[in-house]
Amino acid sequence: MEKLTKLSSIAIAILFSVFITTDVFGGGPWTKAKGKYYFKLSEWSLKFDQHYTDSGLIDPNITTGIYNTFLYAEYGLSDRLTTIFNGSLFSRNVMNNLRSATNNDILVQGDAINAIGDIDLAFKYSLSKPGAQIPIAVSVLLGVPTGVTGKGEFGNLQTGDGEFNQQLQIDIGKGFNFKSNSAYYSAYAAVNNRTKGFSEEFRFGAEFGLGIFNSRLWLSSKLNFIRSFKNGELSEEVNSTSIFANNTEFTSLGVEANLYLTEKIGISANYTSALSGRIIAAAPSYSFGIFIDVN
Amino acid sequence: MKIAFQATIFVSILISLNSCIGDDFLEDARDPEVRITTIVDTLGVNASLQLEYMYLNNVGVEEFIPVDWSTSDDDIAIINNQGLITGVSIGTVEVVAEVNLVEGLISDTISVIVGAETVTNSIELSGVIETTSSYKLTGDFTIAEQDQTNLLLTFDNEYCASDALPGLYIYLSNNPNSISDAFEIGEVDVFEGAHNYVINNVGIMDFSHIVYFCKPFNVKVGDGEIN
Repeated sequence: MEKLTKLSSIAIAILFSVFITTDVFGGGPWTKAKGKYYFKLSEWSLKFDQHYTDSGLIDPNITTGIYNTFLYAEYGLSDRLTTIFNGSLFSRNVMNNLRSATNNDILVQGDAINAIGDIDLAFKYSLSKPGAQIPIAVSVLLGVPTGVTGKGEFGNLQTGDGEFNQQLQIDIGKGFNFKSNSAYYSAYAAVNNRTKGFSEEFRFGAEFGLGIFNSRLWLSSKLNFIRSFKNGELSEEVNSTSIFANNTEFTSLGVEANLYLTEKIGISANYTSALSGRIIAAAPSYSFGIFIDVN
Repeated sequence: MKIAFQATIFVSILISLNSCIGDDFLEDARDPEVRITTIVDTLGVNASLQLEYMYLNNVGVEEFIPVDWSTSDDDIAIINNQGLITGVSIGTVEVVAEVNLVEGLISDTISVIVGAETVTNSIELSGVIETTSSYKLTGDFTIAEQDQTNLLLTFDNEYCASDALPGLYIYLSNNPNSISDAFEIGEVDVFEGAHNYVINNVGIMDFSHIVYFCKPFNVKVGDGEIN
């Protein structure tokens, strides 16, 4: 059971890393001006009954849900240094009952846990001067395993990956006008160093955003890749389920809309789905949030 | 602003409702079965032996249902309603255990040789495990009685299983699609090559399949019929 618990912790860890850390680094190379901030409270949902196997094919699994209430915050410590917090204030991990289709008996009892999730703390430093044509920034992220692992009767429920990780990242981007609308594109590359038997990861991706209706509505699309160094323990030695598995690889495409209802307050919606993957949930995640953006 | 808060609350409620424990359904139907579980090579003349059986319902779970016992030739062996068989004269008979269900008659038949003395040798069964998923699982196995109470399950050199799964477990089951009422042998920690398991307090005729399940995901990985 201890081993099962350990394994469970890894599988869920990755999905969190993939889907959730993406938010932290979705901001591109732009840092907040000193004293300015951005807060977002969002609900994030992932429910899946199939997953990508180690060969990249899709197999069924018991329906599993992970639901998080996230607080995301950016604050400009200086014009070139921004601190970022992304934490799951409340996380729920659910697995369905498995019933016999023949006699309706419960074969495996479903289970659920509620707890705090993992927290990411990051610092982003702009290598270029504010207002640069092509800004470049570097970031360091610390993943703090505040979530729980190995919970539930079978030890397969968790709200975090149970490991500290450190991620170094570089972002580059450019803002420009597109048919009289504001637009931007950015790209990033990162190396994620993980502990407790998890393999290190190489992450990279790109984002394109377009502001319409006088930049009241921002539409963006994000493409993210994660490739495992596969230098950790075997998956069977690191117990994790769903989004927290070890040696997970992933290509995801997300679309997001941010609508400013006032000058500073708005709502956002995000849809992210895996285009391909290995040992990870094969289902889209959804999030919906409200934000305050003080520039 | 008010709309934003209302929308956020609405979405939160939707997510909360969506996050309840629901039901998944497993197609686990199989044909009911009567299985004579006593193994006897030769029954001695005038000797008696208690035959055992098990009835497995339409999901492979054992239930107690009385059977009707009979032999093909009372001049060679006779059997009473409790399954006690007695050798009468030298020869070979078919012993039948039969259950009359609403769906019809089901039965199991074994051959019993009646000879000079009773002989019971241990037997060895075998099979091939195959994947039923996208995860690698292959190999041949044998299962034999190690002693009165233990079985030895042995996999050959060709055995190979994916090590990518978190929590791969091996079971003995009477339903290849389900581990309900199955016997959990243990977590798989050998993923390549020959190895074996000692299984305590299980009869060699008690289960029909070896089943591999990923326990955390509750998903079947592969199986092998015991022949």
